[in-house]
Amino acid sequence: MTSTTTALAVPPDRGRSPWQDAWLRLRKNRLAVAGAVVVLGFALLCAFGPFFAQSYQVQNLNLGATGPGAAHWLGTDTLGRDLLSRILYGGRISLLVGLVASFVALVIGVTYGAISGYAGGATDRLMMRGVDIMFALPFTIFVILMMVFLKEPMQLLDAWLRNFDLLGVRPFANLQGVGKILLLFAAIGAVEWLTMARIVRGQVLAIKQMEYIAAARTMGVGSRRIIFRHMVPNLLGPVIVYTSLTIPAVMLLESFLSFLGLGVDAPMSSLGTLIKDGAEKMEEYWWLLVFPGGAFSLTLLSLNFLGDGLRDALDVRSSKD
Amino acid sequence: MAASQTLPADHADQRGFGNPDPSAAVIRASRGKARSVNFWRSLFLLVGVVAFAGCGKRETLVESGNRTQVLHRSVGQDLKDLDPHLATTAADYNVLSALFEGLVAEDPVDLHPVPGVAASWDVTDGGLTYTFHLRPEARWSNGDPVTAQDFANAFKRVLTPALAAPNAPALYLIRGAEDFHKEREKDFAKVGIAAPDARTLRLTLAHPTPSFLSQLNQAVWFPVHLASIEKNGSATDRANTWARPGRLVGNGPFRLEAWLTGQEIVVTKAATYWDAATVRLAGIHFHTIEGVDTEERAYRAGQLHLTDALPAGKIDSYQQEAPGQLRIDPLLNTFFYRLNLTRPGLRSVQVRRALSLGIDRNAIVAKILRGGQLPARAFTPPGTASYTFPVTATDHAAEVATARQLLAEAGYPDGKGLPPIELLYNTSENHRLIAEAIQEMWRRDLGVEIRVASQEFNSTLEARRSGAYDILRSSWSADYIDPASFLDIFRSDSGNNFTGWSSPEYDAALTAAGRTAVPAERNALFQKAEALLLAAAPIIPVYHYTHVFVIRPEVKGWNPTLLDHHPYKTVWLEAAR
Repeated sequence: MTSTTTALAVPPDRGRSPWQDAWLRLRKNRLAVAGAVVVLGFALLCAFGPFFAQSYQVQNLNLGATGPGAAHWLGTDTLGRDLLSRILYGGRISLLVGLVASFVALVIGVTYGAISGYAGGATDRLMMRGVDIMFALPFTIFVILMMVFLKEPMQLLDAWLRNFDLLGVRPFANLQGVGKILLLFAAIGAVEWLTMARIVRGQVLAIKQMEYIAAARTMGVGSRRIIFRHMVPNLLGPVIVYTSLTIPAVMLLESFLSFLGLGVDAPMSSLGTLIKDGAEKMEEYWWLLVFPGGAFSLTLLSLNFLGDGLRDALDVRSSKD
Repeated sequence: MAASQTLPADHADQRGFGNPDPSAAVIRASRGKARSVNFWRSLFLLVGVVAFAGCGKRETLVESGNRTQVLHRSVGQDLKDLDPHLATTAADYNVLSALFEGLVAEDPVDLHPVPGVAASWDVTDGGLTYTFHLRPEARWSNGDPVTAQDFANAFKRVLTPALAAPNAPALYLIRGAEDFHKEREKDFAKVGIAAPDARTLRLTLAHPTPSFLSQLNQAVWFPVHLASIEKNGSATDRANTWARPGRLVGNGPFRLEAWLTGQEIVVTKAATYWDAATVRLAGIHFHTIEGVDTEERAYRAGQLHLTDALPAGKIDSYQQEAPGQLRIDPLLNTFFYRLNLTRPGLRSVQVRRALSLGIDRNAIVAKILRGGQLPARAFTPPGTASYTFPVTATDHAAEVATARQLLAEAGYPDGKGLPPIELLYNTSENHRLIAEAIQEMWRRDLGVEIRVASQEFNSTLEARRSGAYDILRSSWSADYIDPASFLDIFRSDSGNNFTGWSSPEYDAALTAAGRTAVPAERNALFQKAEALLLAAAPIIPVYHYTHVFVIRPEVKGWNPTLLDHHPYKTVWLEAAR
């Protein structure tokens, strides 16, 4: 009796939530941690670096392209602009496009896929045929059409933003081409959500058949609780993994669009445009390719490591022990 | 004239001054550069060693060409057609001038008109009537004699509206030609073209034109062999495939041997050519090579005797390592921006002039292009047939001050309130660098912020045609050596104006110049017209091109000419011992 009471008196170990489990697992994965540190570090540099670095647009034609040195740590480009600040500024745009467009894709894709999968039947078929049709549209033409038709309104928005006057202060006066960037977000997001929707729908269909869902249902758990308590945690793994892969894909897409003249406008740069320009001149000025390319590859690699780590940490089924 | 619609920009692109190399003065830079050059050189060496170990030394195209007198050059993209009456680009001309010959030919050194199919000519009627005496020994490649009727037939073909020859307006110089082409006159006999006998061709002009003979060297004036065309269908059907190996009958120093789509066009010496004794080349291979960098690699690999262009970044290394192979020739071609006068901000002449003054042309030429180009403060390149527009070179700081003042006068002090302006250029490394440099100059010095955008070449042509641009990069190369070849494109009725600018005074000055034979008076009229053009500033000239390319020392007779024309019959190869 006594022994039983003592045992009961000892406060039991608090159960760890699945999120704590995941966090512990992630912390054990060194590559993922390194990836996270690099991505975060680069993101912070890009976010705050430009406030301290030299201007990304001031040119010095007399200086021209110079290699790395004391005045310009990573050298200058052919128009004499500081490469370090251009990389930081470009990284800002690239990360922003990557994150925002992926987020747009995530929101649309998950919602669409979940509804389609959960509803099933005719709704599902209809919604998925819609996705098939979107898939059949040539992406480039779609984006070009969007860029062409929305160019005028975006320029108006741009002008309005820059002249926006709040009690004599014009907070956006120096922002150039914001409209174009918003358009980029929308265009890329509008295309990238398709795969996400399919993945989520597939997951939802599979999870719907699981015994624990059936069990929850027989115990009288409501739909909302089933979705958020039982389905979403099981969906998160693939969604996070796919999102972490979407970000680099979107960043690549952005550089491709820039190449077609549909991306960010000069004098702004994204990592993609910097690499493109550098590649053309690599025989003469190696630093124009090596530094932006290095920064881009490092970021993508880190994002992939982080994504892998997140999958290992979050995939509930493969990590149940 | 319309020929040049595509010609100049093509030109510019093929010449595309690839990569700038503005590291000149900075020692640190050149050291860094030397290091990188060494790295690439050793990489190439390594690749070369591996390749050689594999297959041993083979004779390159250039070496075998030197042995057999076969010239290897590139034409850029593959040609669409070899019909001289439909040709539009400089590349077309490079091939066609081997296959056809007009009434007159060009002197290989200064391109002045010399006897071609016509052995001689008389000018009568105060410069209105040209009577050409054709040489009896002129032959087509199938052996038929080249007759005056062949020329009359060719001109009629060009002027037939059904053919829709893009350069037909070049023939409007002939009396009645414009009416016939625009179907206001159905009777071809009313056109000033007469062939009284097989050896005599009489052309009556609409008005005296001193540059008439020089203009005869455009492909649209070349004769065609009508019987052989009609064997393959209607002569005025654009889909007629007569201009193919085995079918094409030409009268030039070479005949068409083969055309391998996407690879090369091969021409061989024509035994039927009247001056075959002068022709020393046995043949020419025109290779299809896209991109200046690819072309330069092909040259280095011994596949080409010469290139069309050279990336600006390579100028320095050629200057150091193979100075004899680098050539910087003058060229009558101007890089300029067209302004769309129907756009709100650009409607104001002060704004247009301010934008023009706000460009530091010397910096662009000296720091970005670096190929001996001239800063352009006028549209016509200096020294175009004894004509030079007098420009007062002022200090750039003074220009900027004037520009700022003009902007303020226009109601946009420091660029405030100016409607958004977009600068559109066709995608090319150099065009981008210049556009970005100018964008920054305008932002820094004038406070004018613009957007720059690029499109692929054909899209910019479409934007130009439909007026869907604010500022558009353009270039114009002369079709013949005369200021009119430049200034005529901004006449009100020109098919190449595209800016929305028109000035009756300008038109009148040019028309008067076209009818004046006295050089000094003519130049004064051109000067008056050009002053009007520059004051109204529907265009912003930026720089005058030069032709930068590399050429093997074995190629002889390749003279620097202002139009980049090189009559092949006086070119030969001579391998150094």
